[in-house]
Amino acid sequence: MGTAVMLKNTESRGGMEHWRRQETAAAYMFSFPTIILLLVFSLGPAAYAFFLSGVSWNLLNHMHWVGLSNYSAILHMPLFWTSVKNSVIFAAVVMPVQTVIAMIIAVIMNQNLPARPIYRLIFFFPSISSSAVTSLMFMWIFNKLGLLNGFLSMAGISGPNWIGNPRFALSAIMILNIWSTAGYFMVVFLAGLQAIPRTLYEAAAIDGASALQRFWNITVPLLRPSTFFIVVMGLIGTLQMFDQSFIISGGTGGPLNSTMTIALLIYQEIFSYGQVGYGAAATVFLFVLVLGLTIITNRWLGKPIEY
Amino acid sequence: MVGSNSALSRVSRGLYLLILTAGALVMVIPFFWSLSTSLKPLGEALVFPPKWIPHPFLWMNYVLTWKTVPMGQWFINSTIVAVVVVIGNLILDSMAGYALARIRFRGRSLVFFGIISMLMIPFQSIMLPVYIILRALGLINSYAGIILPQLVSAMGVFLMRQAFLNVPQEVEESAIIDGASRWRIFAQISLPMVQPSLLTLALMMFMGAWNNFLLPLLVANNQNFWTLPLGMVMFQQQYYTNWPYLMAAAVMATIPIAVLFLLFQRWFIQGISTTGLK
Repeated sequence: MGTAVMLKNTESRGGMEHWRRQETAAAYMFSFPTIILLLVFSLGPAAYAFFLSGVSWNLLNHMHWVGLSNYSAILHMPLFWTSVKNSVIFAAVVMPVQTVIAMIIAVIMNQNLPARPIYRLIFFFPSISSSAVTSLMFMWIFNKLGLLNGFLSMAGISGPNWIGNPRFALSAIMILNIWSTAGYFMVVFLAGLQAIPRTLYEAAAIDGASALQRFWNITVPLLRPSTFFIVVMGLIGTLQMFDQSFIISGGTGGPLNSTMTIALLIYQEIFSYGQVGYGAAATVFLFVLVLGLTIITNRWLGKPIEY
Repeated sequence: MVGSNSALSRVSRGLYLLILTAGALVMVIPFFWSLSTSLKPLGEALVFPPKWIPHPFLWMNYVLTWKTVPMGQWFINSTIVAVVVVIGNLILDSMAGYALARIRFRGRSLVFFGIISMLMIPFQSIMLPVYIILRALGLINSYAGIILPQLVSAMGVFLMRQAFLNVPQEVEESAIIDGASRWRIFAQISLPMVQPSLLTLALMMFMGAWNNFLLPLLVANNQNFWTLPLGMVMFQQQYYTNWPYLMAAAVMATIPIAVLFLLFQRWFIQGISTTGLK
């Protein structure tokens, strides 16, 4: 460091300026491909969606500007509200359930139990499998003659055709999603648990706090940063759910639109109905919904912890 | 007092192990069931109540599945896409991450916050504009169309920036004084010091590209470009009653990712812990 300072002092002002410009040029050369690709395939499309939500266009003819009429069109469309209802119910069930399961399993796994690495591996494994594989696996399990109904029949219950029945199809996808993501979030919680000082638990145990009290009064509040991350990621993931609905319903959102989500509706607007403007308006709606819920979550869980 | 305490803790440890084991069974059974189904004759797969162990083991199902559908082509396509995506992210994410961590330049915080804000934009929510852009660029039905949107990732840039921030400044200083170019410092000094993060990044990107369903669905109308997940789903819609073949395809598609995971479990977990804690 000393030499660097000396060098800077002895160099002329012009040399310093030259060096700085060189650094800026190098930095932009390093990040240029990334900036371009992210602009074209991420930030640009997000902005482009706002523009497209104001046009009428079926991908073939010339687009023309229609202002806000796409929004009023989708807001009067029953199918749109069905998709919003399904996505919101899906998020409202899956996000809390997967968060609670992940937290409980992580806390248990943090107890110095034997064979911990094997348990961690098993719980994590579903989250590295593709949505196509897990969806196909669960379609088979949820089949009328499938494994789940086999278990139920042992208990004397005659199970429904889960996927073919509008009352159960979305629940089946909920079960699939909780199963496939709980292990991922468990690993996030495990990392968060490592950051809680052991001494807090020891002190509480000396004061006579029970295990449950320690969980409520130490673990849950001090895990808040992890919980915040998991709730936000969970909300984003569940509100935009697409793959599982598409695969399990064969792209239709059926039976009787019971698995139609906002993302699937956007897909259909463009590929089935050729209504780019409607799809873009639904896209903007989805942005606003996710952003609003993220801001609320941030107010609720995003504060830093005071020890 | 001490005795009763440790008896209690033995009971609660037993209870914990019971809960974990029950959970682990729920996690494992679907995979085991798929594997079992993939080795059964069709008639036995549909027996009710279900049978756990196939009799006999019908390994031919795998051969026949491979012959019935172009699994080989899907494997090649998935491999091309995943390998190029991994290489692209390793190079580009680490270059951008290096610039953001190590070089002081005008506009750095703008670039950084621009990239961070893209962490919040998942692909499902921009599929419509991305599709239209890919279409305008003539990239529908091409490998480039499946690869380019995944070639860099905001998450990857963020991960690599964190990694370079942890490299001590001193190791670069003498090279800077000697007048070495930024490129040489990056490639010869700093990059070798973040190898663990590079491995984590490679695994995350391989998994993402290998498992991606939506992007190939948008881009590949022509089945020559189908990747494994897309091919399997299309196959399911065509042969939806042949569960042994479908499960054989699912097992085959999972094997590469399972092998990687078992070999490099530590780095997978590390990736989640570092990106997940922020």
